[in-house]
Amino acid sequence: MAKNITIYTTTTCASCGMVKKWLSAKGHTYEEVNVDTEPHRQAEALAVSGAMTVPVTVVTREDDSQEVVIGFNLSKLAPALG
Amino acid sequence: MTDVKVHDLVIVGAGPAALSCAIYTTREDIETLLYEKAVPGGLISTTDWVDNYPGFPDGIEGLTLGDNMRKQAERFGAVIELGEVMGLKKEGDIIRLDTTDGEVQARAVLIATGSGYKKIGVPGEDTYYARGVHYCATCDGAFYRDKRLVVVGGGNSAVQEAMFLTRFASHIDMLVRSDFRASDVLVKELEEKHRDKITVHKGVTTDEILGGDIDGMQKVTKVVGTDKATGKKVEFETDGVFVFVGLQPNTEFLKNTDVKLDEIGLVMSGEKLTTNVPGIYVAGDCRHDATLQIATAVGEGASAALYIREFLEGHL
Repeated sequence: MAKNITIYTTTTCASCGMVKKWLSAKGHTYEEVNVDTEPHRQAEALAVSGAMTVPVTVVTREDDSQEVVIGFNLSKLAPALG
Repeated sequence: MTDVKVHDLVIVGAGPAALSCAIYTTREDIETLLYEKAVPGGLISTTDWVDNYPGFPDGIEGLTLGDNMRKQAERFGAVIELGEVMGLKKEGDIIRLDTTDGEVQARAVLIATGSGYKKIGVPGEDTYYARGVHYCATCDGAFYRDKRLVVVGGGNSAVQEAMFLTRFASHIDMLVRSDFRASDVLVKELEEKHRDKITVHKGVTTDEILGGDIDGMQKVTKVVGTDKATGKKVEFETDGVFVFVGLQPNTEFLKNTDVKLDEIGLVMSGEKLTTNVPGIYVAGDCRHDATLQIATAVGEGASAALYIREFLEGHL
């Protein structure tokens, strides 16, 4: 079970909307970091994913281990959420 | 033994052709299930702005247009599953689809998987993917605030996305292999409104993407090309490269099926948008001879719906 979910997004990114919609449909809450409106947090997204792209979803589990999913990738996102 | 539901129609994809078809079939009470592995709305959802789709005199955001089509299809009862179709096979009157949710059965199938952006196929392109090489300006452009960029391509998408990227980048070198293939309207807009930020290099190939260690991470630093007029190598210092050099059909899942493809993977179609397999139809960008426009994809989707209705009337 996820303790915390953070999604890095941009305003114009279609896949970001899909990740948010999918998480909501599955009953998960998340924190959104829009790197358009918070450009100072781009480095954070880059550091956690190693990629200059969005969406990046960071799933933090109860034991504080993390799973990072790049893109709208259900085959990775669904297992990451247990 | 549990009976497996046989859907009237399964549409593979949820872009303009697929959603247009779904609007028509659901209004005719044909039960319709769509499978989409990425974003409903398709490639237009990653396009900044659409100016050539009828009915929107001032243009419309690609994301909004795609979302509106989805809502319209869902209003009439279309069901969109987020999942992937890996293959399909016709057995008797039933088409069996191998999906990420297991086997799904249908009486008719529409292949409307559209296309994705093609790679250039040069050294460095894969190495630096998402570390300076990108195919989606609306997704990744924000990482290049006040940075230098290279945009590769000379078609509508390249020009449109280069103009979008000016809201972030300090300067853009646009590498066009021969001459612009984009519409005159777009080229004129680029030349009139973005001359200060975009430098167009016509007749320049893109040969290699180079990178190095920047702040502890391997990132793009330079693009090397060839000036076709002089034959000399040219170099462009850059922080990132956005590639828009054409489209490739999303038909990988059909390669080991009975559905006939052409040499680049487009689905061959007959009259009435049929494929060589009865009950399997094709519409939109993934069809051989498609004209790759949103308006024509929507038209093909609507036509496919009417042909599929005819087919199903003999099988329901």
